[in-house]
Amino acid sequence: MGRRGIARLLGGLMVGLAFLAGPGSADAQEKKFKIGVIFDLTGPFAGGGSDLHYLGSKIIIDHFIKQGGIEGYKIEAIYADAQSKPDIAINEAIRLIEQEKVDMLLGMFSSAQCVPAAARIDQFKKFMWMTTCISSAVLENRHFRLAFRVQPSGRQFGMMSADFIAKNAKDKFGKDPKDLRVAIIHEDGAYGVDVSTGNEAGAKAAGLNVVMKEGYSATSPDLSSLVTKLKRARPDVILHTGYNPDITLLLRQSRELGLRFQALIGHGAGYGVYSKLKESLGTDVNYFFNVDPISIWLSNPSALKPELLPVIQMIGDEYMKARPDTKIKSAHVGMAASNTYVFMNEVLRRAIKVYGGADSESLRKAALDVDLPDGGTMLGFGVKFEPEAAVMAGQNTRGFPVIVQYVNDESVVVWPKALQIKEPVLPLPASSPYAVK
Amino acid sequence: MSAIFDIYLLEALINGVLLGGVLALLALGLNLIFGVIDVVWICYAELIMMGMYSMYYLYSVYHLPFVVVAIISMAGVGVLGVLLHVIVIQPLLGAAPINQLLATGGVLALLQSTATITFGIDFKNLGIRLPVIEIADMFVSYTRLLAFGVALLGMVVLYLFLSRTYTGTAIRAIAQDRQIMPLMGVDTKRIYIITSAIGGVLAGLAACLLVLQYDVHPFIGLTFGPITFMICVLGGLGSMVGGFIAAFVFAEIISVGGLYLELEWGYVFAFVFFIVMMFVRPQGLMGRRS
Repeated sequence: MGRRGIARLLGGLMVGLAFLAGPGSADAQEKKFKIGVIFDLTGPFAGGGSDLHYLGSKIIIDHFIKQGGIEGYKIEAIYADAQSKPDIAINEAIRLIEQEKVDMLLGMFSSAQCVPAAARIDQFKKFMWMTTCISSAVLENRHFRLAFRVQPSGRQFGMMSADFIAKNAKDKFGKDPKDLRVAIIHEDGAYGVDVSTGNEAGAKAAGLNVVMKEGYSATSPDLSSLVTKLKRARPDVILHTGYNPDITLLLRQSRELGLRFQALIGHGAGYGVYSKLKESLGTDVNYFFNVDPISIWLSNPSALKPELLPVIQMIGDEYMKARPDTKIKSAHVGMAASNTYVFMNEVLRRAIKVYGGADSESLRKAALDVDLPDGGTMLGFGVKFEPEAAVMAGQNTRGFPVIVQYVNDESVVVWPKALQIKEPVLPLPASSPYAVK
Repeated sequence: MSAIFDIYLLEALINGVLLGGVLALLALGLNLIFGVIDVVWICYAELIMMGMYSMYYLYSVYHLPFVVVAIISMAGVGVLGVLLHVIVIQPLLGAAPINQLLATGGVLALLQSTATITFGIDFKNLGIRLPVIEIADMFVSYTRLLAFGVALLGMVVLYLFLSRTYTGTAIRAIAQDRQIMPLMGVDTKRIYIITSAIGGVLAGLAACLLVLQYDVHPFIGLTFGPITFMICVLGGLGSMVGGFIAAFVFAEIISVGGLYLELEWGYVFAFVFFIVMMFVRPQGLMGRRS
């Protein structure tokens, strides 16, 4: 073999080695996990809380991107705007799956979107991680293999407020539960209907006297007939589920038409955006209650896993950077952030480490393996998902909401008793324009 | 029987009248535009939205007096009305109605998107809470009473303008016969621009009053737009008196229907009434047969 031959052989060997080594190392560098994130960035739901959920999820995703990804996988997020419309939510989900080739979908604020979108996404056999959309109808009797929700269900929200009222009936209202008049009003979408079902079931179980139950369209231009009916029903307590601006319209018209009651309990969505309620209603919003997962900034730090505390700090800092005008940090941001963090840190990490990849099936197995006790998430509750055969397959069995009361621009946890920071102010004090005089 | 005819029925009737005032005010400008120019401004509710934003920023951010803010906002929306006519409507005056509808529909999307980008998606509120009037265990919303009064006043002023001034007479004449008036020396271009300005000012006036009752956000038009069009059609497109009557009929059906059945049934009855009337009187309550 001449010199030229040796050179050819060496050249060939080098090309061969490069060919063999190249794809492997390039593959390692290019391991990428694409997340399709869907929230309402425009339309009525955006201001009703969806925009804040988007922010919470984005803070966590960006946090992991900055850290260089998870277990060797680079993270890439593609954000889509559902525009507060279920059809757009479905179209965007399909676009993200088919065109953007995302590995999974995360988000969705409105139950009206999750109910149809979850079925469509299931058809594509894509993993879906729901950060919000609390209606039971999203998961109940649908037996999805790949859809999971950390957030407690709407029915749990509804049952908790009825329980709270019944347990405080004697002490605070001076009445037996059967003598306490309760009105249940709700927006008539999947979310409102589910929470009101929980309200009704809880009221029935506690023996409360439900004097009225009615739904309305969240886009209704006038709710004065509903207010007049409430006046006629004379409820002691109003259990209300709405988005916004229907909440502010109802409360404004209630004030103008002289509706009086002893307590009002809202159930998330618009009631979770205190700053907006305050801007619209001023001090009238004082002493109202809201049922929601606890704000991560109100969680008892000693009850949480210590490694979560710097994450909570980081979320708060990023929140204030993104929204410097914020006066009271909304619980909505924390909810989405916590639920997204559970996915990134518990599910995705486990899928890659234990099941060797980030495909839908590995993610499903990893999700079903998650077994966090109370205090295991920033929202204070644990995580364990219902298996596929269960009625509520994919639902977190350990999630629970709390009840907060807005008192002089502070949000105070008043229920359940175990997490209570202060005694609830009941009934409405005379300073409230809605108080029974 | 007393359970049916109680004080709450009276309250619902009064609420219906007051809601009718709000709806009548909304329909007034739209009807004027259609009656004269023969074009439906699909984006009418979005002009109102822009007026509401103007009210919010000038009052809450720049702290100008309410009356000054109202005048500026009405004038501003009036200018928007003129711009809409000159830029979008005028080139399409001879086009098929569907093209005109699509063009104003495009302006609707444009205004919504512009508002979203410029003002954000937050609900904005003026923070003004007017007193409540209490009469014999009944409460009447002062803001709605104000809207009702202004709607009546607007109607009267518009009527006087149309019947007592030369320009008003020209506007009515064009509304009656669009082809003959240019032959009689009337400058139709000028009349169209004046009408568009008045339509815009009326949208601005509605904005001044609605902003006292509703939060403003880029999609507030969706709350009022469809019902305003239905009222205009029910009253007879272009008929201001018809629109006025239809607004009160619609509002009373919604209000009283919603009192005795679920609130949504009030709307169902109103829409069924609308459909039936379209069969019985396709030209609307006070419309002329074309």
